[in-house]
Amino acid sequence: MTTPTAAATPGSSALPVPRKAVVVGGNRIPFARSGGAYTHSSNQDMLTAALDGLVARFGLAGEEIGEVAAGAVLKHSRDFNLAREAVLGSALAATTPAYDLQQACATGMEAVIGLSNKIKLGQIDSAIAGGVDSASDAPIAVSEGLRSILLDLSRAKTAGQKAKIIARIRPKDLTPNAPTTGEPRTGLSMGEHQALTTAQWNITREAQDELALASHQNLAAAYDRHFFDDLITPFRGLSRDSNLRADSSLEKLAKLKPAFGKALGEGATMTAGNSTPLTDGASTVLLASEEWATARELPILADVVDGEAAAVDFVHGKDGLLMAPAFAVPRLLARNGLTLDDIDYFEIHEAFAGTVLSTLAAWEDEEFGKTRLGLDGAFGTVDRSKLNVNGSSLAAGHPFAATGGRLVATLAKMLHERGTVDGRPARGLISVCAAGGQGVVAILEAR
Amino acid sequence: MAETVLSEMPSLSKLYVNAAATAAKSSLLRTAPVVALPATAVEVRGVRPDLTKVTEFAHLMGEPARDVLPSGYLHAFAFPVAMSVMVADNFPLPLLGMIHLRNQVEHLAPVHFDDELSVRAWARDLTGHRSGTQVQIVAEVLSGDGTQLLWRGVSTYLAKGVFLPGLDKPVEPAVRVDFVPPAPTAQWRLGVDTGRAYAAVSGDFNPIHLSILSAKMLGMRRSIAHGMYAAARVLATVPLAKPPAYSWDIAFDSPIFLPATVSLEVVDRRADDGAWLGSDFTAWNARSSRKFFSGSVAAS
Repeated sequence: MTTPTAAATPGSSALPVPRKAVVVGGNRIPFARSGGAYTHSSNQDMLTAALDGLVARFGLAGEEIGEVAAGAVLKHSRDFNLAREAVLGSALAATTPAYDLQQACATGMEAVIGLSNKIKLGQIDSAIAGGVDSASDAPIAVSEGLRSILLDLSRAKTAGQKAKIIARIRPKDLTPNAPTTGEPRTGLSMGEHQALTTAQWNITREAQDELALASHQNLAAAYDRHFFDDLITPFRGLSRDSNLRADSSLEKLAKLKPAFGKALGEGATMTAGNSTPLTDGASTVLLASEEWATARELPILADVVDGEAAAVDFVHGKDGLLMAPAFAVPRLLARNGLTLDDIDYFEIHEAFAGTVLSTLAAWEDEEFGKTRLGLDGAFGTVDRSKLNVNGSSLAAGHPFAATGGRLVATLAKMLHERGTVDGRPARGLISVCAAGGQGVVAILEAR
Repeated sequence: MAETVLSEMPSLSKLYVNAAATAAKSSLLRTAPVVALPATAVEVRGVRPDLTKVTEFAHLMGEPARDVLPSGYLHAFAFPVAMSVMVADNFPLPLLGMIHLRNQVEHLAPVHFDDELSVRAWARDLTGHRSGTQVQIVAEVLSGDGTQLLWRGVSTYLAKGVFLPGLDKPVEPAVRVDFVPPAPTAQWRLGVDTGRAYAAVSGDFNPIHLSILSAKMLGMRRSIAHGMYAAARVLATVPLAKPPAYSWDIAFDSPIFLPATVSLEVVDRRADDGAWLGSDFTAWNARSSRKFFSGSVAAS
């Protein structure tokens, strides 16, 4: 018997892991603005379509995958086993286990990180992470009043009891409950929360519009050079993200009226152009151990190096709702002995242009670095030429749970194409903010 | 075979009205029966499925709506052309009240919702049956230019109580085998609205499926589920993932009066390596154990 001599200390460099988890590839369906091409498509339809494409691309028909994890933010109660049902509807072996998970907009990221960890630990050899959301086919529930009456009714025994319970129904009970983007504790929508943060960090309208324009131009250029050919399968006649406006311009964006933070008057800078629209879509990522991928002669695009989650106390305004990644990234990089200068590609999810710019501003702020991050000064500066170089959510759209899979597959391919930088593997960082004041971030390295 | 080319997909509701008018006319005029099938095929060229209907169809069957069409949907898609054959003036059997006995389908290639298609249908094999006269309607779905056969369905119908002169009846009466239900692997609870729901996604508004009242007008004691609803519902999960080409066959023993609880047994046949070869299915009334239908699906 030996006693461990060196216990792991929090914040120390990453613990050695038995083996690597790699990204083999990904597949998604083009994202569609809500009310568009996927209006009548359910989450099940879209996740199955994304999975079908992945199975076809990597020859997985009949294959038993170690585990599939996927989720949706807006979910019907009948879809309690969404991921498993999608597996059963796919060509994967019916013996492939699956589970649903949900961490708001970070769902896809958490699926990738959790499954990668299982692969690293040797619990599974292969995995598929996925996410899907439909704002068009959103669940609508009966009102709380009617729900309570219906449940009482199901427990009633006699006709007299039933009649009495039915008599409790009032016209107001017939108004259904639709999902909203509002935070339960503040009643503010995500956009209204971000408007406060955008103003707090003095982000200008021009800077936000420039970021939005770059997103559209970069995404359009990536499509034009066929970058997405092996990342996307057409669905419902759509072969590109329908929100993409290749011909957008600063003049057009400048004409849009503020959509959020109108109470700020002159300080209202957030428009429909520099905010993501409600979107429908699905994405999947194939993860594996090196041995599993090699044995099947499948490509290895990138290593999933490490991931980190964070949350902020946004309820009374201490931090902005979508600022958790500003804390998660410094912790993740420190644990891996890295700084922002060691990153070759940044994929910072564009929930709103203001979210990205507020995060960058916080990292460049000396006061924030000292008092909030516990550093000697500012955390650092993101080289804008390395940021969202193939476009991001402002152009592609943002079907909440599907964004993580889009980011991981896109970045893995970019890193693989880049190969090495200064003799080391190219390195990328993904940062995704999420409802509830949360954020999930990860590091990928080229193979 | 001679062909009648229609300029557009016929409207099923108009066809049903025509069928009712023909039925009324023949009962009034009592014309001499026609004993030969029309020697004409009916064809429609350059038609496309309605994506909204395809999606609703798949969802009603409980399967994900894909870009490729469910095999059962293709039957519904071709049905107006098949029905045009049966309502023609020179068709020897009355359409209304005909009983659906069997469907044999070869699904030869995946059909994408955006494909331009042609549909062709004709009648064949008018033969005697111990309780009437039966006929087969062949429906084919082809590529838009008519060169590639994608889907072919043969539907067998029985006009009960219609005996045409000169048609032989089978010598041997069918042997009744007592049906002993196996252990069910699935159960469907079909509400009274099952017929209306299928009519809405397929366009088949045959009155015997819609309501008790409309069914009674045609001599049924209650409304019944569409045979193709049952077939498409089986095909939604058999097999779970569809090969590019497969065939299926379903024979109906008794009508599914609504509402109903249907017990189902599905048995897969697999190769040594686990690859799916085919499945056999049997369905029966969960309460009375009366057999509803049975059939098989097989990889081509």
